[in-house]
Amino acid sequence: MKVKAKLKNNVVKVKLMAKHKMSTYNQAEKKTGDRENANFITHLSGTVNDKVVIDISTSQFLSKNPIFQFQFKGDEFKKGDELSMTWVDRKGKTKTKKVKIK
Amino acid sequence: MNRRKFLGYFGSAVALSAIPVSLSADDYRKLKPKAWEAKTVDDAIKELFGKSELIEKDVKLKLPKIASNGGAVPVKFSTKIPAKTVAVFQDANPESAVAVYTVGKYDITNYSIKIKMGKSGTVTVVVEGLDGKLYVAKQSLEVAAGGCEG
Repeated sequence: MKVKAKLKNNVVKVKLMAKHKMSTYNQAEKKTGDRENANFITHLSGTVNDKVVIDISTSQFLSKNPIFQFQFKGDEFKKGDELSMTWVDRKGKTKTKKVKIK
Repeated sequence: MNRRKFLGYFGSAVALSAIPVSLSADDYRKLKPKAWEAKTVDDAIKELFGKSELIEKDVKLKLPKIASNGGAVPVKFSTKIPAKTVAVFQDANPESAVAVYTVGKYDITNYSIKIKMGKSGTVTVVVEGLDGKLYVAKQSLEVAAGGCEG
């Protein structure tokens, strides 16, 4: 997962790219004959100092290696604070990436 | 403060941060499973929000008019309405729900994602306001090469 977080004018802007096949049920059926092999990120969330700053439930229809851009209020945070992003996929795998807000 | 009590505070702080984030934030995949199976946009909206009346205003939605690659269509959406939830749907894939954002205290409702569109169609963004009403923006696009089967 690549994450960049920048604080400017009291707003933290984040750009994130998750590495994931995001294979749909149809794609799984076509490639393996079994729809149950479909696997895609189902939830993405992030916290700074244990405060939730983004929370998204997602489907198979996000692009492969999905890109997300979002922003949150920065008044309670400062440069150097750590943004922790986590995704969970349909099979229960999770991945976490922590970056410092620049 | 005695030493045991002092350490006890740190003990509970560590325990809290060990809880996976998805448990402490809304997970619409688990809360509203039927919304993700709904084929039409209207059905998904009903499953997700329990209502269907949509007010077409105050939601900005930006997409390309033509996408050469249906596998990665950029979608930008935002609103100034104080919101609880923002959801993205489309009618060009087998099911319509794409993403549901739970708007928290820190969120600035200005988001961008890339989505798959199996064919030309319409993207719909619904904002559930704190007032309980649903606000909507829709935009159509043409897809040169479908992005679902690739």
